[in-house]
Amino acid sequence: MNKILLAAGAAALAISGPALAGGQQGGGHGGGHGGGGQGKAKVERGGGGPKAAVQRQGGGNDRAQMKAERGNRGQGQVAKIDRGPPRADKVDRGGGKVDRGDRKVDVVDRAVVRVRDGGAPRVAVANYYGFDGGGCPPGLAKKGNGCLPPGQAKKLVGSALAPAYLGAMLDGPYRDWYRDDDRYFYRMGDGYIYRVDRGSNLISALFPYYDRDYSYYPVGMMYPSDFNYYNVPYQYRTYYPDGGDYLYRYGNGAIYSLDPQTQAVQSIVALLAGDLGVGQRLPATYGVYNVPLQYRAQYYDTPDNWYRYNDGYIYRVDPTTQLITAVINALV
Amino acid sequence: MKKLKFIALGAASLALLSACDKNGDNPAAPTAESAKAAGEDTIAKGLPGGSKFAEAAKSVGLDATLGGPGPYTVLVPTDAAFDKLPAGALDTLMKPESRADLTGVLSYHILPGTMLAEDIGKAIDAGGGKTEIATMGGGTLTATKEGDKIVLTDAAGTKAIVTTADSKRSNGVVHEIDSVLMPSK
Repeated sequence: MNKILLAAGAAALAISGPALAGGQQGGGHGGGHGGGGQGKAKVERGGGGPKAAVQRQGGGNDRAQMKAERGNRGQGQVAKIDRGPPRADKVDRGGGKVDRGDRKVDVVDRAVVRVRDGGAPRVAVANYYGFDGGGCPPGLAKKGNGCLPPGQAKKLVGSALAPAYLGAMLDGPYRDWYRDDDRYFYRMGDGYIYRVDRGSNLISALFPYYDRDYSYYPVGMMYPSDFNYYNVPYQYRTYYPDGGDYLYRYGNGAIYSLDPQTQAVQSIVALLAGDLGVGQRLPATYGVYNVPLQYRAQYYDTPDNWYRYNDGYIYRVDPTTQLITAVINALV
Repeated sequence: MKKLKFIALGAASLALLSACDKNGDNPAAPTAESAKAAGEDTIAKGLPGGSKFAEAAKSVGLDATLGGPGPYTVLVPTDAAFDKLPAGALDTLMKPESRADLTGVLSYHILPGTMLAEDIGKAIDAGGGKTEIATMGGGTLTATKEGDKIVLTDAAGTKAIVTTADSKRSNGVVHEIDSVLMPSK
């Protein structure tokens, strides 16, 4: 942005015509995501979207092993996108069930170790799963599009999921966004999240694992055809189903409405932060209480519990350890 | 010919009524379900018509976000704040080829959940005089106090004072600020 501002300022001083910032294509923003998006709309529905349904996942004990390092997320910027240090997650999970007054809420406990490195965004789950579940070779995944060159990812659809990935459960916020159901299960690997049809055991859709890079697809741009499947996070599906006037797709930190004919982005219907997940340490940037007003009488900070809102969920936090201990409600 | 015009007008009216019926009184929300969850008095509806922030948000399709379920905390720079930008900067951002950039700038003014001024103030106090706040755009703002006022500082050190706080809407809250904040780089 500074570049744009400087350029604009220079333009004003020099009155030198349109050669400066104005003529520049939006830098790295969105440009690398293109990829076309031709063809007809794939109209798919997810599994519906029951509210406030928090799944129990797995069993076992909490094993919180943390490296709390958060600071700035990839900084959004203007003129040139640099997502900042990439994040990598190592996951350990547990589960539990909590009785909260007059209702029972299933909770999910799990630990995430966040790692940063200086390379491309990737998810280093190799040590945990014994394979390179999310990493990409150098030169790929620069745009958060997974590990394959443009156009190649789509070829995975219809093929069988690599056996090594069958145990690669989603982590971080993705576990709450994409839940296994009777029709599909979700796994990750090679920089992608795979939606696998339980009936055929074949991959029915995929999309980039690390796509929360905040370089939004701008209005007018065609949504990438490689990932043009219904992938709206679970908690938003009631609001944004396919089959109506628009298609809805998630990508790069937002849910978009698409023109069903052209696949072009019509609007950004929701922004998602993707910052919180059970088992993680609460980022330092979430010190401010932000629970929606209508839930404040029920979920307010005490010496024993804090509550923070993110992407349709309220999370419970242990003030002492700063660990996010449970998803206690789904708002949307 | 007149008859044709009437038929066309009637069809247009029906289409409009159908749209209104589907989304209630919230044209920014694309589905009835999202409109219902967003409520009647959304952030999008509360923005002054024709204001620079409202126009900018609309130009990049973020009016749907601000008219959707949320909730979000939105830092809305006044028109005077936009006027403080270097000459030509806003015009540049409003060009079609800059939509991605403008989306990034605006999402830097949108925070997750509902943060009242009191909530921010408490976190500042708890943090020994400052607190970091995540934005939906991925960057971070630093909040401090100057007297009774909340001050937000962007990555480049630009400060914005909250001049009007806590305009509560059905899908979040709006704080008016006196400067435009910019994501890093």
